[in-house]
Amino acid sequence: MSTTSIEIGLERETPAGLETEEMTLNMGPQHPSTHGVLRFVVKADGEIMRRAIPDIGYLHRSIEKISEKVGYHGFMPYTDRVDYVSAMQCNQGWAIACESLAGIEVPRRGEYCRVIACEFGRIASHLISVGATAMDIGAFTPFTHALREREKINDILEELCGARLTFNYMRIGGCAWDIPPGFIKRATAFLDAFEPLIDEYNELISFNKIYTERMGNVAPVSAELAIAWNLVGPNLRGSGVKYDVRKDEPYSVYPEFDFDVPVGEGKMGEVGDCWDRYMVRMDEMKESCKILRQALGGLPEGPVVAKVARTFKPPVGEAYVRVEGSRGDMGWFVVSDGTAFPVRTHIRTGSYSAMAIVEVLSQGLMIADLIAVIASLDIVAPEVDR
Amino acid sequence: MGYFQNIKDTITTIFEGMAITASHFVRKPYTVQYPDRIDIRIQDTLPFRYRGLLDVDLEICTGCLACERACPIDCIVIDADKNKKTKEMVLKRFDIDLAKCMYCGLCSEPCPTGSIHHTPEFEGADYSLESLVRRYVKAPIPAYKPIKGPETDPEVAPILSRGLKYLDEFATPGDSK
Repeated sequence: MSTTSIEIGLERETPAGLETEEMTLNMGPQHPSTHGVLRFVVKADGEIMRRAIPDIGYLHRSIEKISEKVGYHGFMPYTDRVDYVSAMQCNQGWAIACESLAGIEVPRRGEYCRVIACEFGRIASHLISVGATAMDIGAFTPFTHALREREKINDILEELCGARLTFNYMRIGGCAWDIPPGFIKRATAFLDAFEPLIDEYNELISFNKIYTERMGNVAPVSAELAIAWNLVGPNLRGSGVKYDVRKDEPYSVYPEFDFDVPVGEGKMGEVGDCWDRYMVRMDEMKESCKILRQALGGLPEGPVVAKVARTFKPPVGEAYVRVEGSRGDMGWFVVSDGTAFPVRTHIRTGSYSAMAIVEVLSQGLMIADLIAVIASLDIVAPEVDR
Repeated sequence: MGYFQNIKDTITTIFEGMAITASHFVRKPYTVQYPDRIDIRIQDTLPFRYRGLLDVDLEICTGCLACERACPIDCIVIDADKNKKTKEMVLKRFDIDLAKCMYCGLCSEPCPTGSIHHTPEFEGADYSLESLVRRYVKAPIPAYKPIKGPETDPEVAPILSRGLKYLDEFATPGDSK
């Protein structure tokens, strides 16, 4: 995107004798509507933004470097902190990367437990996303409804793995613990109660006229632009591109489940606008419920973890695996030199590219709409920096 | 889709949403006042896998250092020496820095006796960082030596059975319950 295109449509006639100048505003790092510690340098002409430049690095914790010091098993709790809103998929990404390095096969029950945990995590993450979107737009009630349901998922996951946010549930070779007694009954009861609540939530806010006016037609991302800027996950699917790692590059036992990949259709304006990205997440929660019902119903017997040595030393080599995190395609790259510590780890996350596209999308938008753009892209700050 | 249609849509959708909000006046409340509005301690309502503050039963600690090695952030420090005369391990130091601990549970998994374990306690607030370092060994004590068959010492037996039960329920990977 060249700088000349920024100027188009932004030039205004100023009355003779009046001089105007561009205003530079700082949004963040501590701003209630930037989820986490995000900072944008906004260059504004009145209320119209010329551009919003994302400034990253406030939450950099050197997680990739830490992996070189703590070893393969010890890095698992750190992966929870990469994306703390949906930590399960990060666990899974690291586990699959290490397993493909060493050629370990995970027992089928272990894979099912992983899928159950991940899909619950996905629902919890999307609930945060849609709730926070509504809150940023100015509707507080839907946020409390979303968080209420997320609490129940946290209770379920707490029962499964003993923690509510930083799960550390998966291990190289499977899962740490089998599902506890009575879990399937309680999880199914939750799903029975939750599915009607999605429709209630839609009625509450999704089709509200004020909300659709705020979200529809705002910052549309065409399919070409989304691919050019490397958007992934719900942001990409919101632009009408039917791409899901679970379907297109299947891992784990996802090919065994029957589910759809919802895409944005442009019901409230153009395809790929904020409302489409928001609605894709609502629809994905229903699909996750579908997967969960199949996984809970068809849970095979057997162990949940393969035998892996406590000092895990994979052979020399490298592995790159992709998992579908809640914010899209998550890449885990790990290089091994045969010792107990990885030589290099790299994590590719969805929020990073979503953060980058804000600069393009913000050109010519109102400042108030920047909030809607950030919220609908579902940027989680620690995932940007790692 | 005209001007009046917009107004009509706005009013109907707002009232749809407000009807749902209003229906919550007659639904059961979801929140509970903490900590004094329920009959039992909140710790007792937590699931058995809950990973709260760490605790150590020194009576059954074998001094094998498995937990120290497993900890990714080195919050456990153990000094264990072999007594030259009696050939048994002596624990000189067993510190857990709860300020550092991230409650990942990796230490309690390799423990052979269930000595180091997570409790359901979570209220660990304190005024200084030093008081969060739990020092379990006051004076050097001999480490526990596992014996073949069931434990005979009446003081250690209940602690060991608690530890092994904990391992069964929590720490053994892949244990089907």
